[in-house]
This record gives sequence, C-alpha cells and structure tokens, in this order.
Amino acid sequence: MSAALLGIVTALGDDELVVGHRHSEWTGFAPHIEEDVAFSSIAQDEIGHASAYYALAAKLTDDGADRLALGRDKDEYRHAILCERPNGDWAFTLARHWLYDHADALRLEAMEETSEAELRGIVAKIRREERYHLLHADIWMQRIAHGPVEGRRNLMDAVGRAFDDALGLFEPFEHEAEAVAEGILPVGSDGLRKRFLDQTSAELDRLGFPTHMISTADTEFVASSSGDLLVEEEAGDAVEHQGGLGGRSGRHSDDWSPLWDDMTKTYRENPGARW
Amino acid sequence: MTSEVANAAGERSQTNEERNREAVPVTIAVIEAAIWDALATVPDPEIPAVSVVDMGMVGTVEVDGGRARVVVLPTFTGCPAIDVIVGDVRSAVEDVPGVTEAVVETSFVPPWTTERITDEGRTRLKDFGLAPPTGKGPVLLTNIGLPTSAQCPFCGSKDTVNENPFGPTPCRALYYCNACRNPFEQFKPV
Repeated sequence: MSAALLGIVTALGDDELVVGHRHSEWTGFAPHIEEDVAFSSIAQDEIGHASAYYALAAKLTDDGADRLALGRDKDEYRHAILCERPNGDWAFTLARHWLYDHADALRLEAMEETSEAELRGIVAKIRREERYHLLHADIWMQRIAHGPVEGRRNLMDAVGRAFDDALGLFEPFEHEAEAVAEGILPVGSDGLRKRFLDQTSAELDRLGFPTHMISTADTEFVASSSGDLLVEEEAGDAVEHQGGLGGRSGRHSDDWSPLWDDMTKTYRENPGARW
Repeated sequence: MTSEVANAAGERSQTNEERNREAVPVTIAVIEAAIWDALATVPDPEIPAVSVVDMGMVGTVEVDGGRARVVVLPTFTGCPAIDVIVGDVRSAVEDVPGVTEAVVETSFVPPWTTERITDEGRTRLKDFGLAPPTGKGPVLLTNIGLPTSAQCPFCGSKDTVNENPFGPTPCRALYYCNACRNPFEQFKPV
C-alpha cells in the first residue's frame, strides 16, 4: 500500500465530496431553474468523482468507500477549506466554483501523467466531465464581467474573499515529496499553484477585473516552528495566513463542523445500512 | 493383455485430448457470442430503448471454462444506475448456457466516451426522443462558449439552441428547437 498514493486520492476525494455537497445545497433554492439543474448536476458529478477516488482508496486500505466518504471523524478529512465554506450569496458561489474548477482542471491535467495506472484511468475519465464544469463557470464569469456594475463589484469582492482559501487547494498533500519522487504526482503542489496564479490572474485581467485582489501572488508557503504553514511575503516577513490553509492536515475552519454533522448524519444514524 | 488395455485407454485419452484441443476454442467463441447476444437484450435502465451493448458500455467479454468475466464501462463517473446495470448484466450472463460463474467488473479504462455508442444505438436514442451526441465533447460557439449542434430528435432541424449544458441526469443537456418549438434533451458528448 502506497501511503503517498492514499494521501492524494483521499484529499482529492474529500475536495470533490465536500464541494459537491455544498453545490447540492442549491438544489431547490438556486436563483433560477436552469441553475438549480446545473448545480445539482455538477454536485452529482463531483460526488461521483469522489466515489471513484474513494473506491481506489478503499482498495488500498481494505476499507469501504462509503465508510471513507461518510464514516470518518471530522479531523480525518483532508479537503481544502475553500470547499467547506458556506455557499453564501450567488457571487461567492460562482467565485468558488470558478476558482475550484480551474484549480481542479490544472491538477487533473498534470495527473494524467501519473505513474499509477488506476489513478490515471480515473483522471482521464473525470477530465471529460469536468470540461462542462469549467465551461459553466467561465460562462458565468464572462456574463457578469460584461454586465451591470453591481454584479461586477459583488463578483470581484467574492473572488477576493475566496482567493486565499483557493490557495489551500495547493497546500502539499500528505507524503507529497514521496509522491513526486515516485511519479505519482507529476507536478508538485507548488508548481501547480504557480500555474493557477498565472492562469487566474491572466483571466481576471482579460475580463477587466483588477488583479491586485490576488494579493498573495508572490508568496511562498513555509513551515513555521509550530508546524503551521505560513505565507512568506516577498519582503521576507513571515505572517500567519488568515485562512485557506490547514485542510490537508485535517485542521479545518469553524464552517466544517456543522457541515460534517449534516453530511454524515444519515450514515451515522443508520450504521451498517446498505446504500 | 493388461498392456493392451492400458494402451487402448491411452489411445482413447489421447484422442479425447485432441478433440478437446479443437473443441475448446469453438466452445469459448460460442459462449462469448451467446453472452454478447444476451447483453444486447439488457437495457440501459435510464434509457430502456437502448441496450448496454448499443451504448458501448460493454468493454470486454472473456470466457475461461465456465467462468465468464465481463467489464462494464460506466458512462458517467457518478452514474447512479451503474449498480443496477452491473446486476442486470450479471443476471443475463448467468443465464447463458455453459456459464457457471459470472464476474462483472466496472472500469474506467478505457474511458467510456459517446463515440462508443453504435449507429443502431444512435438511431434508438433519437427514436426515444433523445438527441444523439455530436462531436467529441462540449462543442462551443466561438466567443460565446455555449454548446451547440444538436439535431432536434422530433423534426430533424438543426436550428436548435442549448439552454443548459446540464440536465435531469449527468449525461443529458437541455435544448430548444426553434423550428418545431419543442424542448428536447441531448445525450451529452463526452
């Protein structure tokens, strides 16, 4: 059993499950019917992707995919904090969707070259479906970028609020050095983060949004003496990051506990039920 | 006399082995063909007009003695019908004469794509009221980014507009036909 492979598929599965669960909260409540359908469908896709990752993790650990999805304690989940944030308003929902799916597309693209055959198969399959998510997110960004000023301002603010959390998607996976050395992860999280910053800042610029809101563009993650990941600014001063980091080591925000309660309630109330 | 009997038995057994060597591949081919025929009657539970074979969901069929192994390729990763499909495929394979054990597995290798849907499958999709997939993925209108090019399954017009790249199931997109003014769904190209 490869601990490095397990670390990656667990984190990817948790990202997809948790963001998928948040998307599903729009079912029945989205601003209009087409978006109700879209977010419900994207949610179903993401949770389906999670199940594929969990099936692989379950095989590695002789565990059950359902138990991995819904039967773990809160601090055993490894998703990025971005995924657990409440939907908030429509602007934040779209900002998170856009940032998440661009980040996901970049890591999936890189992982199509993974040395692990089974993971490679899952990634190739998922990428075909994720194109629709990216398309959906991009259309919304364009629509609002070319729309009235109030919407532009709301979306811009939301992207600014979500951006630090989005960088948490590039916090190193558990056993990442080993995963990179073995070719399981062809591009490390740091390399992926740079690609993400280049791509999102170019795209925001193209849409006419100011890019200064991505204030962490020139920063590096460094390990502090306490073991927490900090963001070191170019000037050299290490400052504690406000949010976004910690998810990959199971340290989540206050938003996680109520979501975990809600997400796992049925599973916990019916131990041993067949799904 | 003893040696004659042994000799005769030896000759008989040799003859049987030779017969078996010739017969086994034929038997396997016959059972495999019968399995494919049986699978051609297993419907996609969400689109009962189309069989799992016409959907291109059957990856491989292998027979080894009485043991049959079938690999099913899920259409979409999150397809909730997959457990039903696996169960239906297993039942159909178990009913094939000569099969004593049916092993049905799912795999994402090779990935199922809409290109795997047969011509017969496409015709049946259309007759079912579901536009067959076009292209190899989201087909985009330049500069607008909306998927396009679905042919109305009701009137055949290509004057259609995508209203939503998502639909009631992960595999369907919503369209509207400007010619006959019917909303319709397309099996999404992936």
